[in-house]
Amino acid sequence: MTKVVILNQGIVASIIGPTGPEQRRLANRVMEEALEKISLSFSDITFIVSTGYGRINVPFSDKQITEITCHARGIVHLFPEARTIIDIGGQDVKGIKVDASGKIVDFVMNDKCAAGSGRFIEVIADTLEVPLDQVGERSLQSRNPAKISNICTIWAQQEVSSSLAEGVSVSDLLAGIHQSLADRIVRMVSRLRVEPSVIVTGGGGKNRGLIKALSGQLKQEVLVPEEPLITGALGAALMGKEIVEKARQYNTPLETKERILEAVKIL
Amino acid sequence: MSLKQSGAFSTVETYYNDYGQRAKELNREGKKVIGYVCSFVPLEIITASGAIPFRVRGSIHEPITRGDTLLETIVCPYYRSCFDLSVKEKYAFLSGMVIPHGCDSMVRSFSAWSYGLPLSYFHFVNIPSVCEESSLEFFGSELNTFRKSLEKFTGKAITEENLDQAIRVHNENRDKVRALYEFRKTDPPLISGTELTMTLTAGSSLPVEESNSLFDQALTEVKGRGNSPLKKGPRILIDGACLDNIELIQLVEELGGNVVTDTICNGTRDHFPKADADGNPIDALAHRYLDKINCPKTYRSNKAGTFEGDIENRFGDIGTYAREFNVDGAILYVYKYCDPFGFEVPARKVYYQSLNVPLLHLEDIYSAGTMGQLRTRIQAFLEMIG
Repeated sequence: MTKVVILNQGIVASIIGPTGPEQRRLANRVMEEALEKISLSFSDITFIVSTGYGRINVPFSDKQITEITCHARGIVHLFPEARTIIDIGGQDVKGIKVDASGKIVDFVMNDKCAAGSGRFIEVIADTLEVPLDQVGERSLQSRNPAKISNICTIWAQQEVSSSLAEGVSVSDLLAGIHQSLADRIVRMVSRLRVEPSVIVTGGGGKNRGLIKALSGQLKQEVLVPEEPLITGALGAALMGKEIVEKARQYNTPLETKERILEAVKIL
Repeated sequence: MSLKQSGAFSTVETYYNDYGQRAKELNREGKKVIGYVCSFVPLEIITASGAIPFRVRGSIHEPITRGDTLLETIVCPYYRSCFDLSVKEKYAFLSGMVIPHGCDSMVRSFSAWSYGLPLSYFHFVNIPSVCEESSLEFFGSELNTFRKSLEKFTGKAITEENLDQAIRVHNENRDKVRALYEFRKTDPPLISGTELTMTLTAGSSLPVEESNSLFDQALTEVKGRGNSPLKKGPRILIDGACLDNIELIQLVEELGGNVVTDTICNGTRDHFPKADADGNPIDALAHRYLDKINCPKTYRSNKAGTFEGDIENRFGDIGTYAREFNVDGAILYVYKYCDPFGFEVPARKVYYQSLNVPLLHLEDIYSAGTMGQLRTRIQAFLEMIG
C-alpha cells in the first residue's frame, strides 16, 4: 500500500492507495489524490519525507527516512506511553523499543521469510477462500484452535489443506494460523524485552484475531491506533515538520526538491 | 563512495575484481600456489617452503550450484561459496589446499574438498579447540607435521632461517596493515572502510612481499591525501567472520556511516597479531595462531570466575578497538549456520551493552540479493545512533 499523510497543525489529509508492480510510478498519483481531497496545490507542501520499502522510488521527496524511525515517531505521537511497538506489515514484522523520551533504543526485524509477516495470513486466507478482512473475526469463532506445526508458508498452506480434508473447521484453522504467527512475532520481539505499553500497528493491527492471539501470548493488553496503516506516513510527516521547524528556528536553508509531481521514469 | 581510479587503489581494485590474477601468472611461471581458508593456517610456513599462500574467497554474486551437489546446506554459505567456486575451477591455478580446524564446517567438509578438487597436495591443520599449556605443546608438533608435509610436497627442506625470514616479512605485512588502520582514526577517516578491506583482500591473493609493496603504495597514497573520501558520520565497527566481499561495508558507507575498524578475519583478526620474532619459530607460530588470534572457535576457560571477567577475557579486543577507533556503534554480521559465531551472539550482545556501544545484529546468507533488506536495518540503525 502507498500512504500519504499531509500535516499542518494536525493531519489535513491521509490517503491509502494500492502498491503493485507499478509502485515506482504510483507515488505521484497517491499524492495527487491527497492534494485534490483538500484542494491544495503541490507547491503548497513545504517538505516531503518518504519512507518504507518504496522510499527510494519517490522522486519528489526531500528526504528518505526508514520506516523504523517513522513508525516510532508516529506511534509515540499518538501514544506517548508507548515503549514497545510491533509493526506487522505484508512484507515483514518489526519490533521497536523506545524510551520515555520516544527515542529508539533497539529494534528487530524478521529476517527469515514471509512466514513471519502478514503475508502468512494472506496466503492461508486465500487457501481457505476467506476474504482477508474477515479472517480475524472468523478465527474468533474457534472453540478448538488447530495446531499448525509448519513455519514455512508454503508447507503451512499444505498442512491447512490436508487438515481441511480431515474435517477441521475453517475457524479452527484460522485461529491456529493466528496463534502460529503470533508465536513467531512474540518470540522475535521478546529479544527486545517487551515493556508496556505495547502498540501494534501496520495492516496486522486491523486483524482482531491476531491482536487477541498477540495479547494472549504477551500476557498483556496491546493497543492499536485508530488507523494503523498510516502511522509510518504520519511519522514521516512529523519528522518533515520537525526538519522545517528546526530550519526556521536556526535560520538555516531548507533543502527541497523542485515541486514537480511526476512519475518515475522507468529505464 | 567510489574508489579513486589512480595509483595504488586502482591496482587494488584490479586484484580484488579479478581475484587470483597474479597467482595465475605465478603458477604459469612454475611457482606453487597453495590455497587456504580461515585465519588459522600458518602462512609463514607456506612462505618459508617457497610456495605462495593464497586466501580462497567466495562470491556473493555467484549462486551456489555445483558445490551443493557435494556439500549439504547445513554448511555455512560463505564456506559453501568458497567450495563452489573451487569446484567450478575458479582457482584451477592452485597446486594444493590447506584447511584448518577453524569450525565444524571446515572439519566435516575436508574430505569433500580432497575428493572434489584435482589437486596434488592437501593438508588439514589440526588446531586445538582449547588454549592451554598442553594445547600449545600439541599444536607445536602439529605445525612440524605441516612443515614436513610441505617439505615432502616441494622437495625442499624448510630451515629455521627460512621460518625466521618468513616470520619477519609476514610481521612487516602486519605492521603495514596497522599503519593503514591508523588513518582510520581521524574523523572522518582518511581511508574508507571499502578501500581498506578491499586492499587487505587483494593483499591476500599475493605473495607476501608483493602484498607488502602494494600496502606501501596504498600508505603513500593515503598519506598524501588532503581530504577524506568520506563525510563525517557515525563511526562503525564491523564484528564477525570473513567479510571478503565488500558490499556490506560499501552499503554502510553509502548510507552515511564510516567503517573505522573491525574484528573480521580479513581485517584485524588476520592482521593485528604478530609472531614473536626471537626464539624458536615454531613456538612463536604456535603461540600466535592459537593464543593471539581471537576467534570464537577457540574455547577459553573462564579464569576470572565471573561472567563479566569471562566476557572481558573473550571479547576484550572489541572493547580495545572500540575505544582506540572511537566507535559510535557496531554491526555484528553473522552468516547463517556459522557455528562459532552463532553460539556467541548472546554473550557478545551483553559485552556490547557493558561497553555502552549500540549494536546491530545481522544474520545473512552470503548473497548480494539480501542487500536491500539489510539496507533498511542499517539505515535505521544509523538513524538511531546518529
